[in-house]
Amino acid sequence: MNYRNLSINELHELLVKKEVTPLELAKEAIRLAKEDKNNAFEYIMEKEALEIASKLTVPEANNPLWGIPFVIKDNFSTKDVPTTASSNILSGYVPLYDATVMTKLLEAHAVPIGKTTLDELAMGGTGTTGHLGTTFNPHDKSHTRYVGGSSCGSAAATAAGIVPFALGSDTGDSTRKPASFAGLVGFKPTWSRISRFGLFPFTPSLDTVGIFSRNVKDSAYVLNVLAGRDEKDSTSSTKPVEDYTSLVGKSIKGLRIGVVKEILDTLKDKNAIDAFNKSLEGFKEKGAIVNYVHIPTEILSSLLPTYFVLSCAEATSNNACLDGIKYGPYYDGKTYEEVMMNARTKGFSELIKRRFVFGSYALMSENKNELFIRAQKNRRRIVEAVNKAFEECDVIYTPAAPSVAPKFTDSSDRLSDEYLIADNHLVLGNFAGLPSITVPIALINELPYGANLMTKAFEEKELFMFASVLEDISGLKNLVAKEDK
Amino acid sequence: MKEYNIEILKDAAHRLLFDMPTEQYETLLKEFDVIIAQMKVLGENPLIDQYEPMVFPFECKTSYLREDIPGEPLDREEALKNAHNKTGGQIKLPKVVI
Repeated sequence: MNYRNLSINELHELLVKKEVTPLELAKEAIRLAKEDKNNAFEYIMEKEALEIASKLTVPEANNPLWGIPFVIKDNFSTKDVPTTASSNILSGYVPLYDATVMTKLLEAHAVPIGKTTLDELAMGGTGTTGHLGTTFNPHDKSHTRYVGGSSCGSAAATAAGIVPFALGSDTGDSTRKPASFAGLVGFKPTWSRISRFGLFPFTPSLDTVGIFSRNVKDSAYVLNVLAGRDEKDSTSSTKPVEDYTSLVGKSIKGLRIGVVKEILDTLKDKNAIDAFNKSLEGFKEKGAIVNYVHIPTEILSSLLPTYFVLSCAEATSNNACLDGIKYGPYYDGKTYEEVMMNARTKGFSELIKRRFVFGSYALMSENKNELFIRAQKNRRRIVEAVNKAFEECDVIYTPAAPSVAPKFTDSSDRLSDEYLIADNHLVLGNFAGLPSITVPIALINELPYGANLMTKAFEEKELFMFASVLEDISGLKNLVAKEDK
Repeated sequence: MKEYNIEILKDAAHRLLFDMPTEQYETLLKEFDVIIAQMKVLGENPLIDQYEPMVFPFECKTSYLREDIPGEPLDREEALKNAHNKTGGQIKLPKVVI
């Protein structure tokens, strides 16, 4: 039987009826992972997965994740399993503990199949900068298009049907943008809703865990397991956990969809505009009210520089521990500074070093007010504008990207509104800490294209409700890329 | 704001304990031009200074201490597992005092 296109729920039913066992599912996922042609994997956890799956013999009817295979981005600590964050500075590193999300999934008896590739240290949005090279989009067999990043391997593995869900992380749009390019549901929760203990920090004021799945309800199932206070993460929320599946499929009649006019106006691709407008008609047919809300273009144009300053500054500080002494490859030197200099010069790629230098410059005492503090002030201005937009709507709805996955050879004007706004506005959800989800809305020349929904803080249940209606409108549920020949 | 040029960027990289080939500093210099210009435009908006810096998106304070739960600490072998250069149960580095 082919399990590639089955949802968590469908697999769960088969498992409970004993028509398939966790071990059989794990073996099949490992086979597919080994045949992967998209460079999705840093490490395939064959031994670990088979050991875990072979112990799962009594089905748990009330536990949808029992026996379900998954993959996890390689910037989550996994005990006794190599973890590199796709960076040479961490080659050979084997963590001594599990990230809390890994512990929770193991306790739920889900089965980890592998660690997935990412843009080095999760800093990047292309899926091309990890130490194993470019990760490809499973929907493009010619390997000429981006899958997006930084959670490129998790997106590719889920889109290829190797697993029904995967964990990524999301600092700017690292789960939600690849989801658009790969035909997936890509979800980030409210900042603080899921523990980040064991997630390598990039920009802690923005970072969240991300979830990929092939339908909306599956993401809600996974959030049900991952959400909640963790004493190991003092930034995790004490707010009670809800059943995030409870509103999936419910009516949105009379609720207000807010479309940010200034974002829509920067979209140039006719197919993308048509797909988005068609989905708006779908929302109206479902009884929702479409309101055009406003976030000034001048504020939207400031998103990317603000993000760049904040993320580089926080990343510079957070990655100071990568010294080639306690872990990672060791390079000799006459002094300990020389040892570190050699390790960091050889261990980080050019892109990472450039970001660190910029971050360090932004934090210098002479520059701090004009760069770092100014960016923090602008962040508050951005967040106030988002909150104001919510006065006129229950959910903010935008295109997730300017187009389908671009080609590696495509270039964009880095100062254009299309780049600054249409390509980078998803960071609004990170600045404001809001839950946000990308859902496929169209196939354009056989390539997927997604749109994004964002609700107020801790309104994940409502977010999944809107997303499930959008999924119903598009009819694009459980999309899987065609198999490689 | 501190002026920036290749020498300043090199100094910043060296303080961060890494180096880059000259052409990479040149690429970085061009990136600086774009971002600094964008941040200057932002600074020209007199409204910016009316806002308080935002560090986290909302208050999420922990105002209590965790329960003390007795547990086993890492043993020495485990703690040193990822270090490549070690001797006598410690990480070995070049001499600091010669």
